[in-house]
Amino acid sequence: MNVLKVSGWVIAAFVLPCLLLYVCLVFIPILVSIYSGMLDWNGIGASKFIGFANYTKMFTNDSVFWPALGRTFLLAGFSMLVQVPIALFVAILISRYVRRPNFLVSSYFLPVILSVVVIGQLWKTIYNPASMGGMINQILIGLGLDSLTHSWLTEPKVAIFAVILVSLWQYLGYHILIQFTGIQNIPADIYEAAKIDGADGFKADRYITLPMIVPIFKISVVLAFIGSLQSFDLIMVMTGGGPAHATDVISSHMYNMSFLSMKYGYGSAIATFLVFVCLLATVIINFLFNRLDKRYS
Amino acid sequence: MSQSVITPAAKPVIAKRLRGYSIKKTIVFILFGILLVTQLYPLLWLLIYSLKTNEEILSGSFFAFPAIWQWENYTNAVAGGKYWSYLSNSLLVTSITMVGVIFLSSLAAFAITRFRWKYGQAVMLVFLLGMMIPMQGTLLPLMVIFKNVGILNTHLSLILPYIAFQTPIAVFILSGFMKTIPHEIEESAIMDGAGVFRIFRSMILPVSIPPIMTVCILTFINIWNEYILAATFISSEKLKTLPFGVYSFVSQYSVNYGAIGAFLVLGALPVIVIYFLLAEKITKGMVAGAVKG
Amino acid sequence: MTRRSRMLGAVMAGVLALSLAACGSGSSNSGDTTTKPADTTTTTDNGNSNSNEKITITFQNIYPDTTDPKNKMLHKIVDQYQKDHPNITIELDSLNTDQQKLKLKTQAASKEVPDITIVNPAAQMQPFIDADLFAPLNEMIEQNGLKDTFQQGILDYYTFNGNVYALPDGNNIGVVYYNKSLFEKAGVKVPTTFEEMVDAVKQLKAKGVTPMAIGEKDSWTGSFLFMNVLLRTNGGPGFLKEVVDGKKTFEDPAFKEAVDAFESLIQAGAFQDGVTSFDYNAGENLFKTGKAAMYYMGSWATGGIETSEAGKDNNVGVFKFPTVNGKGNPDEFMLAPGSAFAVSKDSKHLKETLDFLNYFMLNYPKETFAAKGAVGIAQTVDGDFKAAGYSDMAMDVLKLFKEVKGGDLAFDNTMNPGTAQAHLSSIQNLFVAKKDASEVAKEHQTAYEENK
Repeated sequence: MNVLKVSGWVIAAFVLPCLLLYVCLVFIPILVSIYSGMLDWNGIGASKFIGFANYTKMFTNDSVFWPALGRTFLLAGFSMLVQVPIALFVAILISRYVRRPNFLVSSYFLPVILSVVVIGQLWKTIYNPASMGGMINQILIGLGLDSLTHSWLTEPKVAIFAVILVSLWQYLGYHILIQFTGIQNIPADIYEAAKIDGADGFKADRYITLPMIVPIFKISVVLAFIGSLQSFDLIMVMTGGGPAHATDVISSHMYNMSFLSMKYGYGSAIATFLVFVCLLATVIINFLFNRLDKRYS
Repeated sequence: MSQSVITPAAKPVIAKRLRGYSIKKTIVFILFGILLVTQLYPLLWLLIYSLKTNEEILSGSFFAFPAIWQWENYTNAVAGGKYWSYLSNSLLVTSITMVGVIFLSSLAAFAITRFRWKYGQAVMLVFLLGMMIPMQGTLLPLMVIFKNVGILNTHLSLILPYIAFQTPIAVFILSGFMKTIPHEIEESAIMDGAGVFRIFRSMILPVSIPPIMTVCILTFINIWNEYILAATFISSEKLKTLPFGVYSFVSQYSVNYGAIGAFLVLGALPVIVIYFLLAEKITKGMVAGAVKG
Repeated sequence: MTRRSRMLGAVMAGVLALSLAACGSGSSNSGDTTTKPADTTTTTDNGNSNSNEKITITFQNIYPDTTDPKNKMLHKIVDQYQKDHPNITIELDSLNTDQQKLKLKTQAASKEVPDITIVNPAAQMQPFIDADLFAPLNEMIEQNGLKDTFQQGILDYYTFNGNVYALPDGNNIGVVYYNKSLFEKAGVKVPTTFEEMVDAVKQLKAKGVTPMAIGEKDSWTGSFLFMNVLLRTNGGPGFLKEVVDGKKTFEDPAFKEAVDAFESLIQAGAFQDGVTSFDYNAGENLFKTGKAAMYYMGSWATGGIETSEAGKDNNVGVFKFPTVNGKGNPDEFMLAPGSAFAVSKDSKHLKETLDFLNYFMLNYPKETFAAKGAVGIAQTVDGDFKAAGYSDMAMDVLKLFKEVKGGDLAFDNTMNPGTAQAHLSSIQNLFVAKKDASEVAKEHQTAYEENK
């Protein structure tokens, strides 16, 4: 029960500056974007109000939209179901086996703070064909697995996975950090008590760590989901959405429409859709985790 | 009494654990090692890259070292790239943003979590919603707003949106932490007759230093590399930030890759240095309950 | 605890002071540019503002690299002008091409166009013209005879409704550069027909040499090459114009023939692996480091290739794009009028800006010539190129210029952005998948109709 009972003015003084700035610079532009989504507008000239025509076009007459949406969810799925669990696994190992974990955790975090330009460039050279010094293909050939070599960033079926891998790699450290601190938060006496009862090592993890880490895990999952939905820089740097839309995701499609094809109204419609998907998904994830929480507690 | 019960049973357990431990431990440490290499490799690669010539980079044998270490890439980067000007602009914008974020979001988080107030949760939700919004989507509307207010081509046109976009997650983290502060602190302060702001300043804020550090670092990392808003709202050479300097090297028909590499290293250096210095504080900050959600 | 809060207070005070300073310096800038409009309407001035009013002109350009000769030339002219006119400051906003395009669009949306900016010719300029953002330059180019320095007809690409709206920094043609030593190594001769070129590709490939380089991540490069093929199969220029006029559609046999020919080149293995992840610079560098035998590009690449490893000792030559299936005239080239300087209609210092641009363009040929970047500028240059040290290859390119008998503009300079994007994507796709020519034609026609 909150203790401080204060007058409306005091509340306003505390909350309003932050809220106001935020609403003005984040919400209002979004509202403007929603409105722009209902215009036929190239961004610099006159505009025409066309109601929901952009949205209908988006859902029924845009050959890039649905695959792009699919790829966005593919990326999100990998982040949530592969990256975060691996991060959890690593975090558990670190907290169990390493006495001075800070160095390790900090180092794993490094790719997160590097600029996307660096990461994009680096991985482009890794993915290069063997003749141009691409590391992966060179290693494969060296192992005699020539048939497995691919043109990683340009074969339409493979390219998106190549990009997804880079994204997973970059943010792994981020989730490791989050999960690791979550584990540190679990009071040591619980483990002591369990040890006395004979539950040790991985058994302890199953009955103690996992259930207690669910809230943190949820945060990671939500962050991973939102992050992958908005993921944009990396794709633009590595493939530009190509070849021929093979790696386009919702945000890059929006960018191309708004700024390259000069269909700003249409691009705004896509952006609005993106925001709603994020909202919906967060609610769903929250709901699922609450069910999980109830089961475990 | 319980001790004497445990000790005889402990011996075989410990012995078994030690043996299994060493094999498992080796495997685990190898795993850690591999992970470490993959995560740190970019920095090493970047350093080598920044010391090569354009041709060496492009003919790129992946593991090759440069023939001669091109330190001049660095001098080109600093001189031609106006490094110090960009660096100081980036520092200025980022630090003001950080202070702004902490100031505003700690006030808001405090109000949401400690006041007796109907709308606290609603406001929280409003902030959470904002986390979903991608910055690029707001480029055009913000441009129009800033133009009408007349702050285009000033640092303010960057600082304000940066603060605005960072506040949701800052409020989230800070309120998560503040929820866990026991109410006794406030109760005793009220009994001593302290005003609300005094309570905030002298009691809650100092205790919240760990999550504040976390927010600091997250903000720094997010803002330091931000490029799109910086390129669009700023036109004057003397106001441009660091990510800009990098892209400035890519001219119309040729690319000075080596100097770009050098510039990237110089640009990443401040972040890395600050990060490693404060790494402990971040972990402590998050452990201290920032991530309790 | 109190010590901490005191420190916090001190830090905040300090930062607050800094931020006020930042706002202050920012607002003093905007203060400069809001000088009284009365100054800009005096038409009898010769470029010297009669008051000692400090004026700032924003000059947005695409020469950010300080090692680029164009950058040096830019600074030289700007510095000289500022010296001659001490009350005028020219603020340079140098961006790379893509950034500048994006930024201009964002600025246009809020009517914040810089005093001088860069636009691409014809269809790419159209949206800005429709939104009435640029000032007509007809009067200004009459001053000091600027108009006559430009090559015949080049200004047409920047003229709408009888008004000239921009002045180009270059005029280039599409040519094929080739590496002489690699050709010799594979025993290949310079092809005069497209079929010979495909054969040459096969021969080069057999000898382990990448036949052609291209930077197809930047899809305009592939489009440029494709349009040259179309120029031939159509028997002459004007295909796109006829589509716009409704006389032809994309399903015309000439178009399908071009697609087939283009695909045969790709299928013969002409291009490097992973071609769609190489951006323009990476593609060009493949040729410049001697890793590819041929490179189709606009003549602006001459400067860079000259000084590269492949270009040393006159090892690189040029040839005209050959005939396709016996059709087309090799003296017809892909024309690439350069990016051009335009002036904002709402500029607060219209007169001073126009005067400066006049000065700039007058000095442009001279300074570019001196900086060895004069192959492919849009104005006539007085000077003995050979004596000035231009390479043999540059001389070859210059000779080609004299043989131009007409040609076409690139697709994205002729069609609106929506159609252009669809086309670029379609062509890029051909590099990774084989498609039926009639499918490609249909794609184009659908996109064209959707975006009309």
